[in-house]
Amino acid sequence: MNEKTNRIGILPIGKVPEIVPQSIAAHISGCLDLPAIILPSLKNIAGCYNENRFQYDVGKTLQTLESIKFKDIDKIIGVSTVDLYIPIFAYVFGEAKQGGKAAVVSLYRLEKDTHGKKQPSSIVLERAAKVMLHELGHLYNLFHCADEHCLMHFSGGLQDLDASPLYFCRYCSKYFLDARSKS
Amino acid sequence: MDDKMSIMVVDDEKIVRESLFHWFKKAGHKVDTALSGFEALEKLEKNNYELMFVDIKMPGMNGIELLGKVKTDYPDTIVIIITAYGSITSAINAMKTGASDYLLKPFKPDLLSLVMQKVVQQKKMATEYNYLRDRLEKINRFENIIGQSSSMEKIFRLIPEVAQTDSSILLTGETGTGKELVAKAIHAKSQRMQKPFITINCGAIPDTLMESELFGHQKGAFTGAVQSRKGFLEVVSGGTLFLDEIGEISQKMQIDLLRVLEEKKITKIGSTDPIDVDFRLISATRRNLENEIAANTFREDFYYRINVINIHIPPLRNRKDDIPLLVDHFLEKYSQEIARKVDRVSGETLEQLKRYHWPGNVRELENAIERAVVLSKSRTLKTTDFSFLQPSPVTRSGALSLNEMERQYILEILKQYGWNITQAAKSLDINRVTLHKKIKRFKLKKDA
Ligand SMILES: [Zn+2]
Ligand SMILES: [Zn+2]
Repeated sequence: MNEKTNRIGILPIGKVPEIVPQSIAAHISGCLDLPAIILPSLKNIAGCYNENRFQYDVGKTLQTLESIKFKDIDKIIGVSTVDLYIPIFAYVFGEAKQGGKAAVVSLYRLEKDTHGKKQPSSIVLERAAKVMLHELGHLYNLFHCADEHCLMHFSGGLQDLDASPLYFCRYCSKYFLDARSKS
Repeated sequence: MDDKMSIMVVDDEKIVRESLFHWFKKAGHKVDTALSGFEALEKLEKNNYELMFVDIKMPGMNGIELLGKVKTDYPDTIVIIITAYGSITSAINAMKTGASDYLLKPFKPDLLSLVMQKVVQQKKMATEYNYLRDRLEKINRFENIIGQSSSMEKIFRLIPEVAQTDSSILLTGETGTGKELVAKAIHAKSQRMQKPFITINCGAIPDTLMESELFGHQKGAFTGAVQSRKGFLEVVSGGTLFLDEIGEISQKMQIDLLRVLEEKKITKIGSTDPIDVDFRLISATRRNLENEIAANTFREDFYYRINVINIHIPPLRNRKDDIPLLVDHFLEKYSQEIARKVDRVSGETLEQLKRYHWPGNVRELENAIERAVVLSKSRTLKTTDFSFLQPSPVTRSGALSLNEMERQYILEILKQYGWNITQAAKSLDINRVTLHKKIKRFKLKKDA
């Protein structure tokens, strides 16, 4: 495999604890056997803020990420701590366009449990990794999977997310490998 | 079952359309969008959508109106209503109009996946229901004869019963009611099912040829008989002979056939050796033979021979309950043939078809559906697709004189048969001379 293809860039957005992009990069190489590098952070995404919803528009965020040119980078994963939304949803944990170039994941909704209690960082990092790997799947054109024991199964809430494994099912893995070798 | 669906998102807000579009795409569904109710209806005309997400607040046609139209014309399509917080009453209205669920936007992501789970469940139940309905439909069919009305059910019960006997059967009923189908069904249920089923249309064979057709001839029996030939009465050996339009045969032929039925023997033209024959006779007529007997044009002894069992098939206008079933059957048949999707009739059209008096019965209905399917540009047949059907003379106006009704009826039949006097006269059950007289009296003209 050519080292320069399939390279994933991790882009911290605003102030993000150093351990987060590191953990994300480790999961990409550990779980998917893809090279990942951490890029210099982006200052903010103020242009994506919606004053009526006090949240950041994730569609605009993805557009912003896609507009930045990085050398030798195949896909970009933005890592953030702000509250993200898409117009129809109250919030999202992360987002990626099907077959697109950029994905984003935020810790904002992952740090607490359903009662608002702060969660240990090990749990938060695992959640962030799951969201990120799921969105990365979309970047490689994987669809939602009907199998609940698959990372590509849609998780709309924290309970689902915590119940989801850290890996793809057999079919999704196969599809991912095919898609990766084609891109 | 595949959980992937064809979905349409209807919303005037681009951003909502797009976010739902992408979300469903990610789930692997086939997604389409429409920015108004009008566009949605246009798309529904062309393609099938199993699921629709419809925003309530839209300019032009609002979501509730669209929902109403979808539920009337495409009742199988599941509709989920999307509405903003604060308009819960309209959401409840939508549920009453037939929406399966509603979402107050912005909603939590897990709520949408919950709704989708419910939809999949609903779809599964609908599939099961359709399967059961199909099975039920098969019960409503008997060897291609379709009907669920009590009169047809009676015939379905009768067919296997009479099939077990060997008695002669007379099928009566107007033209186009499916008498031949009933005859075939009886044959198929009888002991003779492995043997031939032969149809002879007595109205189509000139009297001079009829004898040789039925009995066969020896070589040299008459000019043109260069080879000896078997007649149908011999060819049918052991099977069922179906004599359609039996009212049309000559008195001489009636006598000849009567003898065959009594002796079970025939003699070829030009021969003196009788041959044994074995067949079951089913005859059919659209005439009232008892009237013909009274008028001395049909032999009474022959009538009793062929009419051991009588089955009357009612005209379509007397079993209107069967029309939807027949319409579905012919729609399926003809849209398969043209490989284009025309798979429904609007509710209004079905009412129109039920109101029509169908002088040509099931056959006319079949021809009408075929014609409409071939010419239709959309997947739903509308009343305009059937504008070639003449309004029934009885329902046109209550104040018509008997004379005027007769005039209109004759004109209509003439048009139906393209002014073919022979066929029109047959359909009217009068002779050609009488028809010519009536045309003159009513001053009927071809292009009137
Ligand atoms: Zn996803
Ligand atoms: Zn999977």
